[in-house]
Amino acid sequence: MEQQSLLDLLYVAAFFLGGLVFAVGPFIIALLLASRSTRNTRQKTTQLIECGMEPIGDAWIRFGAVYYLYALMFLAFAVDILYLFPVALVYNRVFAIRDFIEIVIFVGILALAVVYAWNKGVFTWERKTYSHR
Amino acid sequence: MGTQNLQPPVVQFAQLDKLLAIGRANSLWPMTFGLACCAIEMMATGASRFDLARFGAEVFRPSPRQCDVMIVAGTISKKMAPAVETLYDQMPEPKWVIAMGNCAISGGPFVFDGQYGIVEGAEKLFPVDVFIPGCPPRPEALIEGILELEEKVTGSRRFPRVEVA
Repeated sequence: MEQQSLLDLLYVAAFFLGGLVFAVGPFIIALLLASRSTRNTRQKTTQLIECGMEPIGDAWIRFGAVYYLYALMFLAFAVDILYLFPVALVYNRVFAIRDFIEIVIFVGILALAVVYAWNKGVFTWERKTYSHR
Repeated sequence: MGTQNLQPPVVQFAQLDKLLAIGRANSLWPMTFGLACCAIEMMATGASRFDLARFGAEVFRPSPRQCDVMIVAGTISKKMAPAVETLYDQMPEPKWVIAMGNCAISGGPFVFDGQYGIVEGAEKLFPVDVFIPGCPPRPEALIEGILELEEKVTGSRRFPRVEVA
């Protein structure tokens, strides 16, 4: 029994080592086989990739997060329409007016979300960031 | 000028190098990079009619870090030269350069006494491996250039040479 568990542990260790070699090995091989330098003309090998142009400013700036609220609203209504599909399937199977009223109530409650967002000023396109770093 | 002498890799085996050369030659990755009208022919070469994919060189990379071949397709204006040189710098070894068209070879029709705007040939900027004449060269010519480059890399030609009647 003791032997067996030790053997299992060895298997785990072997697979772990195998995985490690599989992951790290290519890096080491590439490091050994790749040229240690690259020919260059203007000493710009390490420059950030900017299609050959000089990079302007810092990449770590704060972006305006205006659109994401708008996108969230869209998402809410995309899902809303998803819920309307089954309703459309069973519509008028029993009693059309009741179905209609139910849909009106459902969409009406969801529409309150728009009213809320409207009130909060999501639909006025204003930058909500104040300062760059 | 920067460095033009290359530090070789830590590990080198002749046979392995040959194997790697075959792999590299048959999957050359050019850079998505066009300077002038020759680029239109380059796009045609990559598209379905001439189908550069048959020769393994269709993967046009938008980043110089992933490229093997820089096809200088078009006139290099002096304004654009620093950008082209930077792109060459940013390509990792091994890298090759194809000068496509007369402008990239020597300045083409823009060379005259007192011209001030054009770099007269890509080899004024960096070493060039294959020159493809033409104004612009036909897509077949670019394919032949790629095949010439393959031959240069491996030392043997994989596809039959077209005999001119």
